[in-house]
Order: sequence, then C-alpha cells, then structure tokens
Amino acid sequence: MMPTRANRLQVALVLLILVVLQFYLRPRLWGPRVSPDFVFLGLILFALRSSPGVAALAGFLVGVATDALTPARFGAGMMAHTVVGYVASWARAVFFADNILVNAAFVGVALWVRDLFMLLLGGAGDRPLFTELTVYSPLEALATAAFALLVLMAFRQWFAIRLDV
Amino acid sequence: MASASDRSYTRRDTVLFLVCLALSIVGLVVPPGIGLSVADTLRETALAPLVWLQARAQEGRTSRERFRELTAQRDSSAYLAQGLPSLLAENERLRQLLSLSRRLSSAYVAAEVLHQSQATDGRTLLLSAGSSQGVSPFDPVVAPEGLIGVVLSTGARTSIAMTWAHPEFRVSAFTVTGNAAGVVAPSLSATTGEGALEFRGVPYRDSVPAGSLVLSSGLGGVYPKGIPVGTVTGLVREQAGWERVYRLLPAANPGSVGHVLILVAPPSSDLAKAFPSDSLLEALRLDSLLRARRADSLAQAAREVAAARRDSIARARRRAAARDSAAPPAGAPTATPAPAQAPPAPKPSPAAQTPAPVRRDSARGDSIR
Repeated sequence: MMPTRANRLQVALVLLILVVLQFYLRPRLWGPRVSPDFVFLGLILFALRSSPGVAALAGFLVGVATDALTPARFGAGMMAHTVVGYVASWARAVFFADNILVNAAFVGVALWVRDLFMLLLGGAGDRPLFTELTVYSPLEALATAAFALLVLMAFRQWFAIRLDV
Repeated sequence: MASASDRSYTRRDTVLFLVCLALSIVGLVVPPGIGLSVADTLRETALAPLVWLQARAQEGRTSRERFRELTAQRDSSAYLAQGLPSLLAENERLRQLLSLSRRLSSAYVAAEVLHQSQATDGRTLLLSAGSSQGVSPFDPVVAPEGLIGVVLSTGARTSIAMTWAHPEFRVSAFTVTGNAAGVVAPSLSATTGEGALEFRGVPYRDSVPAGSLVLSSGLGGVYPKGIPVGTVTGLVREQAGWERVYRLLPAANPGSVGHVLILVAPPSSDLAKAFPSDSLLEALRLDSLLRARRADSLAQAAREVAAARRDSIARARRRAAARDSAAPPAGAPTATPAPAQAPPAPKPSPAAQTPAPVRRDSARGDSIR
C-alpha cells in the first residue's frame, strides 16, 4: 500500500464527489436498486489505500449512515460495512496488485458480499434473499464495478493505480 | 518477523475492527425503538445535509417528470386545439348540407369530395358517388352555398365533376331581381384572376348593381333554376355598346368543399327556396322561433284545460257523493216530498248554497258523461 503517493486532499475530493453523486445523482438514475452505490465505491477505494483498522472504522461510519437512512434493521449496515471495509483493506494488502480491472472487480464482489451480510443480518426471507442475491445485487455490483473502472481510470494518479491489465 | 511498529500497527487495526464490530453488535441487539431514535437523531443532525441533497434530487426528478407530463398535456391540447377549428368548420358545413338536403324538393345523392394533390384539383373534382348510386353525366353538383358544377363522367362508385373553375364551364343565369340575364363563365383573364366568374352577355341597357345575387336560370336543360352562382362585385368590361360583362364572386368554393349534393332529378323544379338568401334564412329562423313559441303556448293552454277538467271532475264527484249521503235509505217511501213539506235538511255548506257553481258543475258532469 502506498497511501502517501496520492494527495490526501485529492482523495478526499474524490470521496466527496462520490458522496454527492450518491445523494444527488443516484435518485435521478434508472432503477435505484441497480444503480451504482457511490458511497460504497468510495469506501472500497478508501479501504484499498488505508490500513484495515481505519478501513473498518470508515466502514462502520458508512454503516451508521446507511442504518440511519434505512433503519430496517439497525446495526446490520454497520456490521456489514465494517467487515467488508476491514476485509477489503486486509485482502488488498495481502493479495492484490495495483491492477485496475482487479480493483474494479473487487468492488463488485465486495458489494455483493455487503448485500449478503446485510440481508442475512436483516433477517430477509428465503425468497427475497434469493432474488436479491441473484438479480438485483449482481446488477448493482456490475454497475458499481463499471463506475469504479471509470473512476480508477480518471483518477488513477491520485489512487496510484497501474493501468496494466 | 514483524517489527514492533508493525505489530502495534496490526494490533491497532484489530482493536479498531473489534470496537467497530462490537458497536455494530450493540446496534443489532438494542431494542428497535432505541435504534430508530438513534437513526432519527443522525438523520436530523449529521446526515441532514445529505438528506437535503437527496430531497433536492428527488424534487428535480419529480419536477422533470412533471414537466414532461405537462409538456405532453400541452402538446396534446395544442394538437386538439389545432384540429378544433377544422372540426367545427366541417361540422358547420355538414349542418348546412343537411339543411340544404331538407330544403331540396328534388332527388339528390350525397357525395364526398376526394381532393387530389394535383394543381388542377378544383377544376374537376372526384366524387365518391357513381352510377350505382344513380349519378349520371350532366347532373348538377351543389353545395350549401350554391353551384359547384356538373358531373362530367361517372364510374360505378365514383364520378368526375366539372366545377365552375373549369374553362369549359357555362351556366345560363339571371340576377335575383330578374332585371338581367346572361351566361356565367369562369374568368380567365389575368386582371380578374382565375378564381372569379364572369357574368357575360348582359344587355348593354341593363345595369346590374354590385352585390346582386346571380342565380341559374334553368335554361339549357342542365341546371335547375334558382341555384346561386355568385354575387356581382363589379364591371369587367363593356363591348361595343351592346354587352356588359360583370365580375362575380363565386357562391361556392370547389377547392375547400368537402361534401356535395348531386341533383339526380330532371332540372324542372325551381330550387330558389332551397338556397335562401341570408335575409331569408334569418326570416326562416325567426319563423321557426315563432312557431316554437306558438307551440309552447298551445301546449300551455292544453295543460290548463286538462287541469280545469280534472278539477271539475273532482268537484262533480264530491257533489255526487254528497247527494248520495243525503238521499233516504232503502225501504223509505219513494215519493219525493214537496220541498215545502220536507223535513228541515241539514244546513248545507256555503259552497252548496251558491247556485251558479251547481249549475256549472252539473253541466260539466253531463258533458263529461
């Protein structure tokens, strides 16, 4: 991990843009259940260049915000985002190289895992769980991964991402 | 082997993770009421700007959809508004045609004009009625406003009409006042324009004032008498002191007509009554109003008479019932005592004391029976 290679301010700016997109652009896009999750993308991008503890804290904060906005099962979002943030940071430090496609795919997989956690902790029934995990969650993961690809290509210098495939 | 700083780094991460995980578990196990109140507090404080941003976005989306709906409604309204005047005009023309068909005393066939895109459309018209409907060549074609032309040829279901704009069109005509007669032909000169008619062959001694209505005269055996052809708008030329030629504003426009009537009966009758002038139409309208009012007054009188009859019947029945109750019972002597010897009758009611109504009621009762 090379957190010092990119300017922290630039990264913060990107994260702020993602937050704004989450709350201002996402409601205007097509189906809200399959639109990219910009905040989650910001969390993963932050986790990929942070230590696992800080990533877990960031995930916890994102989870708090998620639970506050959709309090169907308070605490489920916190736990899911905490675990995903921590594991993303830890796994990236252990396994991943700075590859753009791998990073984008990792975002998609992480989102699907986040949804799995939230659905399991939220106590969803079998049928909704199956539908969410096989239809909506993969579509949202694909959309988020595609947007992650765009973000990484646009801000690769700031995130210290290599473009080799 | 990890260094001391790496170990502390890992330890710090683990602690952070465990703390966050513990807090998450606490969030999961707390009663839902507490969780909801915490969520409310967060939404009202830290997340308020984000919620506000999302609300604006949602408003924008709603406004955009509303704008699209309004635009679609406006476009639909504009489209309907565009078609409304033409619909009203067509409706008015159909009413006029219906009115004309009622006034016509001779047989006719209604036909639609199938306008074509050619430049010569208006000189000849394709009509939607043919020989199978009884149309034959040289049948006059009229519109509510006046003469359109004559049938030139017929097919089984369609026919071709030569309108007054055709260069070969001629109709014998006279002014409605009867002081001048001549032949109406299309004007082909550049000065008068192609959309006008000429009233030719008017004797030099006869002058026709502008505004005079020119009707078909019935001469020639093609057009019945009395069909409006046009209105005199001015003098075109005078020839050698023996003829005047007047310009006519045509009564009917073949280019815009949509429905016509083809007169299939022999041109023997006078159709002037079928094409009343504006003043005559007004008089007809007033006459129909008067007739309607008269009918209303007659109906009112009939209602009053019926009510009076009902009243008189009721009174007669009441009087008959009173007589029956005053009559002696069965078994009593049949001889009617003299009025002077009769026992004193019960005091009659004031109405029974009045002699005149008694006579009238009995008379009406007889008449009813």
